[in-house]
Amino acid sequence: MSRLIPGLGLIIVLAIAGGFAEQQALRKQSKPITLQPITFAQWQQKLAGYKGQIVVVDFWATWCGPCVERFPHMVQLYQKYGRDSEIRFVSMSLDDRSDRLALQNAQEFLVEQNAIFDNFRMDEIVPDAFQKLGILGIPAVFIYDSSGKLRYRLTGDNPNKQFTNKDVESAIKELLAGSK
Amino acid sequence: MSRNKTRFLIALSLAALLASSAGLYAGKYNQVVDIGAPLPQFSNLPAIDGSTLSSSDLKEDVVVLVFLASHCPWVKGMDGDLVKLVDQFKGRSVRVVGVAVNHREDDRLPAMKQHAVQFGYNFTYVYDESQDLGRKLGATHTPEYFVFNKQRKLVYTGAIHNSPAQMRTDGSVNYTRGIPTELYVKDAIEAALAGKPAPVAETAAQGCTVEYEKTGSK
Repeated sequence: MSRLIPGLGLIIVLAIAGGFAEQQALRKQSKPITLQPITFAQWQQKLAGYKGQIVVVDFWATWCGPCVERFPHMVQLYQKYGRDSEIRFVSMSLDDRSDRLALQNAQEFLVEQNAIFDNFRMDEIVPDAFQKLGILGIPAVFIYDSSGKLRYRLTGDNPNKQFTNKDVESAIKELLAGSK
Repeated sequence: MSRNKTRFLIALSLAALLASSAGLYAGKYNQVVDIGAPLPQFSNLPAIDGSTLSSSDLKEDVVVLVFLASHCPWVKGMDGDLVKLVDQFKGRSVRVVGVAVNHREDDRLPAMKQHAVQFGYNFTYVYDESQDLGRKLGATHTPEYFVFNKQRKLVYTGAIHNSPAQMRTDGSVNYTRGIPTELYVKDAIEAALAGKPAPVAETAAQGCTVEYEKTGSK
């Protein structure tokens, strides 16, 4: 038994070191998480540049409770599907650009969530942003296919047809299956 | 006429009927009701003062339902305008009722009471845990207004005015389009009192999305 203890200790030390090294490697892979301002016109150009990839856009804001609650699911979906070069995940904040504290909170939230995808904030007056994007409210998720066509427009615009996290994943699966 | 042709025409008529009835109560923004829709019946909704409210209690010529949520910065941003609106119609046959339907703790009755005191609410404020009233009216945002005339038909739905205001994190209020210049709800009430249609009948309500409980998994 006494011979076993040092061996066991070594295994534990190696396991911890291994886990630490893996975490470090993951951190190195991560790009810095920044909330980039983007006007609607620039967003249109950016979207056009994504052509060839499936694009999942999560519209959210720090003032939107259900958006904040749903966000970890978007990160999970990214972890599950986002490594595939055929798909791109984007978060688009609709926080008030004149609310510096809210923008700071949004940035901190993205880091906390480890949202290592493209993170933008719409650089427009909030109601104008909604109008230009053609949405009445958030949370909302838009999913474009690889030809750039908006295939899924998931919103809360109808009380009797609310979208779920499951709907988002099903849509991603369907588009991925179609592209292979 | 052949039997097949008759069947086809019947099917076509049925489809047209279904399509027209489905679209009957769908407005420009509201996906459930359109102008002219009746006030849904409701009964014994608990109010923040401990009383209850039913649709049959509403005797005034004009009834305004406004969907609210205590946690929502858009509600907080436009609370001042709502309180002012109620004051403007004091002494006239207008009843404003605030309705909350979200199930989150910071939107339920205890939070509603606190919020009402903080923002000086001067109207009846009820909680509809069933969310039926919101579903029947297609209310998807807070604040979102529904104005009904003496016949209890919907004459206006949407925002209070044309400059949605949000409370910033530091407590200041941002009127996103400057000082409001079009007072949709006030104008709709005045028109309804005069027996006229609202000058603007429907607008998009800017605010927080109402959180309806879903059937099935999240």
